[in-house]
Amino acid sequence: MTLITIGLLALITFTTRYLFLEGKLPLRLGPNVKQFLSFSAPAVLTAIFVPILFVHEQQLDISSTNAYIWGGLAAVMAAYKTHSVYWTIGFGTAAFLLSGNLP
Amino acid sequence: MLPLSLAVVPWGILFGSLAIQRGFSGLEAQLFSAVIFGGAVQIVTVELMAEGAPLLTVLFSALVISSRHFLYGLSLREKLRTKPLRWRIGLGFLLTDELFSLSGDRRAYRNNYRLYYALGAGGSFYLAWNAWTALGIIAGAWLPDLTDLGLDFAIAATFIALVIPDIKSLPILVCVSVSAILSIIFSIYAMELGLVVAALVGMSVGFALQKLRQVR
Repeated sequence: MTLITIGLLALITFTTRYLFLEGKLPLRLGPNVKQFLSFSAPAVLTAIFVPILFVHEQQLDISSTNAYIWGGLAAVMAAYKTHSVYWTIGFGTAAFLLSGNLP
Repeated sequence: MLPLSLAVVPWGILFGSLAIQRGFSGLEAQLFSAVIFGGAVQIVTVELMAEGAPLLTVLFSALVISSRHFLYGLSLREKLRTKPLRWRIGLGFLLTDELFSLSGDRRAYRNNYRLYYALGAGGSFYLAWNAWTALGIIAGAWLPDLTDLGLDFAIAATFIALVIPDIKSLPILVCVSVSAILSIIFSIYAMELGLVVAALVGMSVGFALQKLRQVR
C-alpha cells in the first residue's frame, strides 16, 4: 500500500509540473498573462520562506528571541549586498546560530 | 547551480530522518525522493501517512502543495511547449522551485546549450536531493530528532538568496510584500491553499501596479 501511495504521489507531482509544458494543450498565453506570470517566482518563493521565519506552531513569533528573524534579516542584507547564494546562506545561518544561543 | 545543490542539504536530511522516525523503511524513504522529488510535498505526506490519514486526504494535500508548479509550467510554456517530448518530460520531472528560479533569464531554454544547462542544473539537484536523503535515512536511524535543529532556517535562507536579487522594481517589491504578509496570515490559520492564494494575490497586485505605471 505504501508503494502504491508513493507511486500516486509521484504521478500527481509530475502532472502539476508537466501539464502546461504539453504543446497539445489548447492554450495560448496573451501578453498580459505572461506579464502576470513574470511575478510568479518571487511571489511563490516568498510565500514559502516568510512563514518559516515568522510562524512557529501556528503562532506569530515577532519577539527578539526569535532567531529565525535575526537570521532572516542577516540573509536579506547579505543577498541585497552580495547577490551571492553562498554569502546569503553563510551570513544568515551564522546570525541564526549566534542569536539562538544568546542569553 | 552548485550552491543550490548545497541548499537542498537541509531538506534532504530533514526528510530522510523524518521518514525513518515515522516508521518507514529506508527503501521506502529513498523511493519517495527518487520518484516524487519534492521537498514540502514529501515531508507533509510522510507525516499524514504515518498518522494513518485516508488515501484521498494524502493525495489531495499533495495536489494542493504541488499546485504552485502549475504557475511554473505556465510561465515556461512558451519556451518549452515546442521542444521535443523527451525534453519536456525530462525538464518537467526536474521542475523544482530551485530550477524554476534559474529559469527567469530571457534566453533560458532557447537553444540546445541552454537546455543541457537546465538539465545539468535540474539533474544535479536530483542527485543531491537523493544523496542527502540517503544521509538523512542513515542519520535518522542513529540520532535523536533532527527535525528540531533549525534545519528549516537554511531552507528559508536559500529562498531569500533566490528572491532578493530579483526585486528590481517597485511592482515586484509590492508583489513580494503582499505575498509575505498574506502567507503569514494564512499559515497562522493553517490554510492548505494559503501558499498559492498568497502568491496569486501578490502577483495580481504587482501586475496591476505595473499596468498603472505603463498607462501613465
